[in-house]
Amino acid sequence: MTVSDALSGTVYVVDDDDDLGATVARLLCRHGHVAESFLDPVALLDLYPQAPAHCVVTDVMMGDIDGFDFADRVRALDAAVAIVFMTAWPTTANAVDSVRRYGGLDYLEKPLDEARLLAAVAEGVAWSRAQRTAIARTATLTPRQRQVFDLLVKGHNNQAIAAALDISPKTVEDHRAAIVAKTGANGIAQLIALAR
Amino acid sequence: MTTLARPFALPRPSSRLAVIVPTAADLPWLAGYAVAFWVAHYVAAEWGGRGFYSLLYPAAGLRMALLWRRGPRLVLGVAATEVAVQFVTGIIDPLSAGFATQLGGVVRPALAYALVVLLVRRMTDHATTSLSVAPMPLGLASVGAPVAAAMAALPWSLWRPDLTGVSGMREVIASLTGFIVGDLLGVLLLTPPLLWLAELASGSASRPARPNIAGVIEAVLVLLFSFASEVLLASIGLGTPHTPLLLAVAWIGLRFGRTASWLAIVAVAAMTLPQTAMPMRVDARLALHMSLASIMVVGYLAGSFADAQARTRSDLQRRDRLLFQAERLKTLRAMSVAVIHEISQPLSTLAIEAKHLHEITVSADVEIASTAALIDRKAAALSTLVRRLRRFGGRTVDKPTPLPLATLIATAAALAEPEARSHDVTLTIEPVAPDLVVLAQEVELAQAIVNLVRNAVQASGDGRVSLAATQVGDQARIVVTNRCRRNRPDQAGMGVGVLVARAIVEAHGGSLARVGDDIGEARATILLPLIGEPQ
Repeated sequence: MTVSDALSGTVYVVDDDDDLGATVARLLCRHGHVAESFLDPVALLDLYPQAPAHCVVTDVMMGDIDGFDFADRVRALDAAVAIVFMTAWPTTANAVDSVRRYGGLDYLEKPLDEARLLAAVAEGVAWSRAQRTAIARTATLTPRQRQVFDLLVKGHNNQAIAAALDISPKTVEDHRAAIVAKTGANGIAQLIALAR
Repeated sequence: MTTLARPFALPRPSSRLAVIVPTAADLPWLAGYAVAFWVAHYVAAEWGGRGFYSLLYPAAGLRMALLWRRGPRLVLGVAATEVAVQFVTGIIDPLSAGFATQLGGVVRPALAYALVVLLVRRMTDHATTSLSVAPMPLGLASVGAPVAAAMAALPWSLWRPDLTGVSGMREVIASLTGFIVGDLLGVLLLTPPLLWLAELASGSASRPARPNIAGVIEAVLVLLFSFASEVLLASIGLGTPHTPLLLAVAWIGLRFGRTASWLAIVAVAAMTLPQTAMPMRVDARLALHMSLASIMVVGYLAGSFADAQARTRSDLQRRDRLLFQAERLKTLRAMSVAVIHEISQPLSTLAIEAKHLHEITVSADVEIASTAALIDRKAAALSTLVRRLRRFGGRTVDKPTPLPLATLIATAAALAEPEARSHDVTLTIEPVAPDLVVLAQEVELAQAIVNLVRNAVQASGDGRVSLAATQVGDQARIVVTNRCRRNRPDQAGMGVGVLVARAIVEAHGGSLARVGDDIGEARATILLPLIGEPQ
C-alpha cells in the first residue's frame, strides 16, 4: 500500500447546488480520491449501505434534511466515516456544534478554501481507513474472545479476567493467544490502540 | 486582562491650586478684560452716585462673559485684574484706613460671580431637566450672580455703614437693590452679545438668521402697545405700573427667543433708565428698579427657555432622522448578507474551476495560460473579499480579544481600499510595529476605522488619505489624515459614521478626536489603551 493510496479514498459530496457538488467532486478526483456528488442526501442514504465511503463532504443548509441531521443518519449507518461540513451561512454556534455534537472533522466556509478542503478530506480518509482496519481486525473474534478482549484492554490481568468470566486462567491464556493471532497485534499496547 | 468598558481617564492636574492659577493662554483674556473693565467702570461712574452703587454697571457684564467663557477657575485672575485696575485708578488706596473694606468690596463680587458660575455648571452637569439645556444655564447664572454679589455685600453694609456711606436699613436695601439692578442690567445687556462675538470669532457660532418680517412686526407692535398703555395709564393719573411691559417682553421672549428678548430689554432699558437718573424719591426709584429687574429677568429667562425648547426640538428631529437612517441601514445589512450568501455559492464553483483551469493551462499557449491565470487570481481575490465581508457583516457576540494593531489596520485597509480606489484616492498605510496589541472586538473596531477612512476619502482634496498607527506612551494612536477639499460639495451622509466610530472607540476605553488645521489638513485620531503580548 503506497502513501498516496492511504491518503485517497471514496468520498461523497452532498450539496443542493449541483454545480458546486460536481465541482468539488471533480476537484477531489483530481487529487486521487474516488468522489461522487449527490444532490439529494436521502438518495445517498439509500445507497450508502451497499457502498460505504471514507469521507462525506456535506452542505449544512439543504432542503428537507439539513447537514447535521444527515450526518447523524450516515454515522448511524457507518461509525467509521469522516464528515466534513461546508456552509454559506457560517455561525460560531454551528461551527462548534458541527465538531462537538456531530463529530465533524472541519467546518468550511463558502467560498471554499481549496487547500483547507483538501487537507480536511485527506485527514478524514486517513482516519476512516485506520478505523476500518481496527474494526476489521477485531471483527473475527468469537463472542467469548470479544469478552476477554474487552477486559484485557481495560487493563485486567489473566487472573482477574478468569474470575470475572468464571473460567480458568488457562482458558483465558488460550483466548489471549487466539486474539493476538487474529488481530496480529504485538503486545497489549497495540490491542488497546485497536479498541479505541 | 482589563475590562472593555473602562472609562477613558482624562489626565488630572496634580493639585486643586494649580487649576485656579491662570495659564499663559488666559493672559491675553485678562489683559483685554483689564482694559474693558476700566473703560466700563469709568463710563458707569457717570451715573453712579451716593446711595446707589450704579444704575447700569457694564463691567459686571464683562466679568460674567469672561467667567462663563473661560470657566470659574479664572476667579483669581479676574479678582486680581479688578484689584489692579481699581488700584491704578485710585479707587482703592493701600494707605487709607478703609483699605481692607475697599479691597473686600472689589474682590467680593468677583468671588460671588465665580461661585455662581461654578454652581450652575455643576448643576447642569448633573441635571436632566430643561434647566440643563443651553442657554438656560447662562440665564440662571446671569440672574443668580448679581443677586449673590449683593447678598455678599449685605452683611458688610450693615456692619460698617460708615465706610460705605450708606446708613439705615432703608437706605441699605435701596442701595443694594440699585446694585443688583445695575449688575443685572450690565450682565443681561452685555454678556449675551459678548459671548456670541467670542463664539463667532472661534467659529463655533452661526450668524443670526434673517428675521422674518411678520415676527418683527408682531414684536414691535406688542412692545408699542405696552408702552402706549403705560403712557395712557400715567396720563390719566393711574400711576405707572410696568405690568404691560413685563408681559410684552415675556411674550417676545417666548415667541422669538433670546435675541429678540435681548433687543426688547435694550429698548425697555433705553426708555426707562433715563427716568431713574433724575432726582426721585427712594421708594419710587426702588419700585422702578424692581420693575425693571423683573422685566429683564422674565424677558431673558423666557427667551432662554424658548431657545432651549427650540434646540431640544431640533435635537429630537435629528434623532428621528438618525433612527430612520438606522432602520434603513438595518434593512441594507439584511440585504447585503443575503447577497453575500447568494454570491458565495456560485463563487465557490467558479474559484475551484478557475484554479483547475489555471493549473491545466500552465503549459498551454501563452494567451490561454495568462487568461486562465488572471481568471484564477480574480476569483480567488473575490472569494477572500466575500469571506471577509461576511465576517464583517455578521452579528458578532464574540468577547474582545487581544488583537495585534497591524492586523486591525490591515483588515480595515482591505475593507476601505475598494471605495478609496473608486474615488480615485490613494490610501497610504504606514507600517505598523508588530508588537502593539490592543484588547478589541476586531469587527467593531475595524468598522470604526473604516468609517473614518471613508469620511476622509470623501473629503479628500488631493486624492491622498493616510492611515497610521503608532505607540504614544501606553496608548496606541491611530490617525487618519486627509487634505480638505476647498468648497467641498454637500455629502449625502449624515455624520452617522463618526457617531458610530466614536461610540465603538469609547466602548473600547479609548477616545476619538477630529481636528482640522489652517493648512487644510483634517486628522481623525483614535487613542486606545495598549495591552501586553497576546496570550
